[in-house]
Amino acid sequence: MSNNINISDSNQDQTNELVQNDNIKKFLTFISDKLTFGIDASYVTEIIINHNITFLPIVPYYIKGIINLRGQIIPIIDIRLKMGKEEYIREDGSNCIIVLNIDSTMLGIMVDTVNQVLDVDTKKISPPTVNNCVELVNGMITINDNSTVLILDCNAIKKI
Amino acid sequence: MDNSMDNMLDMYLFETNSLLEQLDSILLNAEKSKVFTVDDVNEIFRIMHTIKGSSAMMEFSSLMKIAHKTEDLFFIIRDKGVETFDSVCSEEDHHELFNLVFDAIDFMRSEIEKIENDEPLTDNIDNELQKIKDFIDKIIVHLGGTTESDNSEETEKSDKDACKNLPDNSPYFIKIFFDEGCGMENLRAFMFITSVRDICENFTFYPTDIEINSETAQEIIDNGFFVGFKTKDDVDKSVALLKNQSNIYTYEVIENNNPKVESNDNVDEVTVETQKTVKKQTSSSAAATSSSSNHSSQNKQSLISVNLSKLDNLMAIVGEIVITESMVTSCPELAGLKLDNFTKSARQLRKLTDELQDITMSIRMVPISGVFQKMNRIVRDMGQKLNKDVELVLVGEDTEVDKAIVDCIGDPIMHIVRNSMDHGIEETVEERIHNGKDPKGRITLKAEHTGSEVIISITDDGKGMDHNAILSKAARNGILTKPESEYTKKEILNLTLVPGFSTNETVTEFSGRGVGMDVVKKNIEQVGGVVSISSELGEGTCTTLKIPLTMAIVDGMEIAVGNSIFTIPIHNIRQSFKISASEIIHNVDNSEVIKRMDEFYPVFRLYELYGLETDITNIEDGIIIWVESGDKSYCLFVDELLGGQQVVVKPLPTYLNDFNIKDSGIAGCTILGDGNISIILDVANLYLKAQNIY
Repeated sequence: MSNNINISDSNQDQTNELVQNDNIKKFLTFISDKLTFGIDASYVTEIIINHNITFLPIVPYYIKGIINLRGQIIPIIDIRLKMGKEEYIREDGSNCIIVLNIDSTMLGIMVDTVNQVLDVDTKKISPPTVNNCVELVNGMITINDNSTVLILDCNAIKKI
Repeated sequence: MDNSMDNMLDMYLFETNSLLEQLDSILLNAEKSKVFTVDDVNEIFRIMHTIKGSSAMMEFSSLMKIAHKTEDLFFIIRDKGVETFDSVCSEEDHHELFNLVFDAIDFMRSEIEKIENDEPLTDNIDNELQKIKDFIDKIIVHLGGTTESDNSEETEKSDKDACKNLPDNSPYFIKIFFDEGCGMENLRAFMFITSVRDICENFTFYPTDIEINSETAQEIIDNGFFVGFKTKDDVDKSVALLKNQSNIYTYEVIENNNPKVESNDNVDEVTVETQKTVKKQTSSSAAATSSSSNHSSQNKQSLISVNLSKLDNLMAIVGEIVITESMVTSCPELAGLKLDNFTKSARQLRKLTDELQDITMSIRMVPISGVFQKMNRIVRDMGQKLNKDVELVLVGEDTEVDKAIVDCIGDPIMHIVRNSMDHGIEETVEERIHNGKDPKGRITLKAEHTGSEVIISITDDGKGMDHNAILSKAARNGILTKPESEYTKKEILNLTLVPGFSTNETVTEFSGRGVGMDVVKKNIEQVGGVVSISSELGEGTCTTLKIPLTMAIVDGMEIAVGNSIFTIPIHNIRQSFKISASEIIHNVDNSEVIKRMDEFYPVFRLYELYGLETDITNIEDGIIIWVESGDKSYCLFVDELLGGQQVVVKPLPTYLNDFNIKDSGIAGCTILGDGNISIILDVANLYLKAQNIY
C-alpha cells in the first residue's frame, strides 16, 4: 500500500567527515514544478509514497486533507497549490509526501519528486531576492552542479 | 535530580490536596453533627501532622507553620479529651473553631495553588497564626488551664493506666531501654513503632504521645518503653526487628499473667473505655496501612495515582490495537480463504481486545463524588455569609465518569450551585414559611447513568425563575432575536444561557459578574454535553447537564457522501428514512423543509455544506438523517448509511485549528478498520454552519 523510506539511515555514513564544520547542515532537496527546493533535513521525519489522503472539507484548497500515519493524524499541504501553481496530477494517481516535524507540529508536504540529501554550508545561503512573491522561501544557494536550490522556510509553513 | 524533585513535588501536591479534601469532609460532617468524635480529632491531628511533616521536608514554611499551629490546637483538644471539650465549650466556641480550621484549610489551599503556579509563598502569616493562638489560649482557659498529664490520662488513656508496671492488658509486653545518652529516645521509640506497624496491626505502646511530646524521652529513660502485643507470634517478630535497631541497650519480654487484668478484660468489654481503645486501635492501624484510608461512606479512592497523560497514551494505544485488530482480521487478501484456525484465533483476539478496551476505559472512570463533596463547602460558606439555612443533598455520588469530564464539570456545577444559593433560595426564612415551604432550603445534586450518558441535575426548592423578568431583562440587553410574544417557556429559560445575560440586578460576591450561565454552557458543550433548565416561579429551578460518559470512544453511525466518510454520534440521531420528492416543502428562500411528527424541520444537504462531489443529488436516491443536539433539531441529506461502529475519537491536528474547523461542525476524526479516516460531525455546530450558508 505505502512505501516508507527512512531518511535518517541514508545519511548516517556521511556525517562523520563533516562533523568539524558547524555551518554544514543537511538539506533534503525536492522538485516542485521544475524548481529545486531544499529543506533542513533535521525537520524531516520520513518520506511516504502513495498514501491515501482523506479529503477534509472547509479548509483552504491547498490543504489536501489528512492522512493516517500509523495512528497519527497528519495534515497534508500541497506545495504547488500553496504557491499558487497548477496541481500536479500523475498518470497513475500516486503521490509523494515529505513528513515534517517542525517543533513537534507534524505536517506533510506534497511534492513532485524527492531528489537527494545535500550538505550545505549555511553561510553560503544568500537571502531571497527583494521582490520575491513567494513567502515560503527564505534563502537561495547554488550547489556543485551550478543549479540553484531554494531554501524552504519551515516556520513559515507552520504558520500558514 | 531535578526530575526526582519534580516527582516529589507532584507527590506532595497530590497528597496534600487529597488530605485537605479529606479534612474538609471530616469537618463538614462534624459540623453537621455539632460534635467531634475521638476518631475525627485523631484523624485531623494525623492529617495536620502529615502536612506539617511533608511541608517541612519540601521547605514550604508557611504551610508548615499553619499546619503546626492547627496540630497544636487539636493536640490540646485530644489531650483534654474530646468529651470534655465538647461539653465545656459553648456553641460560639465550636462555631469559631470550625471557622478557624476552615480558614486554615483555605489558607493552605491558596498556598498550594501558589506552589502549583510557581509563585512565591506568603511570608507574613502572623495574622493567621495569631488567630489560632488566641483561640488556643481561650480554650485552655475554658478547660481549666492545666496541662497535667494525669488529667488527660484519666479522660482518655485510663486504659493505659490500668496497671502502672504494665500499662494495659495486652498479654505480652516488650520493655525496651535505649543506650544511655543516645538522645531523642522518644523518636527512636517512634521509629521502632513505625516498623512494628508494618508487621502487625494490633499492638499498643506506652508512653503513647512519643511522636509529639519530647518530654516523654525522660520517661522512657526512667521507666523504659513498653510495647504491648496480643499474640506471642507478634512478639517474636518484633523481637527480630528489635535486634536490627541500633542504640537498643536492653529489652525484655514480659508475659502479662496478672489475673486481675485478665478478668478486667471481660469487664472492660462493656465499658466505654475499651470501646474507645478498640476504636483508637482501628483508627491507628488504618493510618498505618495508608492505603486503607478509604472511608467507605465518602467513596474516596486513594489507591494508586497515575499521571493522566499515561492513561491517555494507554487509551490511544488500545485504540490503535482495536483498529489494527480489525485491519488484520478483515484484510481483503484473506477474502474467500477458508482458515479455520485463523478465524478461531481471530475471534479470541477480538474478545481479548474488547476486554482490554473495557478495562482501559474503566481505569479512566472516577466517581463523581469528588466534585459533589466540594459543593458541601460552598453551600456551607455561602449559607453563612448570606444567612440562609440550606441543606445539600447528594444522590448517586458514586456514579462514575471519565476523569477528563470530571475535571471539566467542577466549575460549571459550582457555578450553578452558587446561583441556586444566591438567587434561587429565598432571602429569608419568613418568605419560605409564607410560601408554605420547609424553612430549611434544599439543594439536590443528583447524578445518574442512562446508557451512554450521565445526567447531573442540580435542583433547588427556591423561588424559581420569573419568565417575564427574564424576558424583559433580555429585551433590555438586546439579546432577543424575535418578538417577545413568540418566545416559548423553554426558549425563555434558554435565554439565561446566552452570553451577556445575568438575572440579578446587582453584582454580589458570589455571582452575577456577567460571566454567567453562558460559561457553564460553553464548558459543558466542550465535553460534548447539553445544558437545559426548567423552572416554575415559586417552585424552584432544575438545571440538568447531560454529558457523554467518555469523550474518547463514541458510538457512531458511518455515512458516506461522495468519496468521504463521516461519523455521526448515534446519540444525536433520532431517525433515518427515505422520502419521496413530494414530501419536500420549499421555503420562500428555496431552502428545503420537511414535516415529521407535525413539526417542520430544515433539510441540509451535506454535500452542499461541505462542497463535496457526489452523484447522488436527487433527494429520493439518498437518505435523510434526522439529528438532534440540545434544542437544535434538523435533517441531513447524505448518500448512504454504512453502519454503526464504535470509534475512537482523535482530535484533528492542532495545525488546522486556524481554520475554524470546530465551528463548522467537525468534532474530530477517527480511524476506521481499513486504515481510512472518517470525520466525526458535531451536530450542534453543523447547524450553525448551515445557518450561515443558507
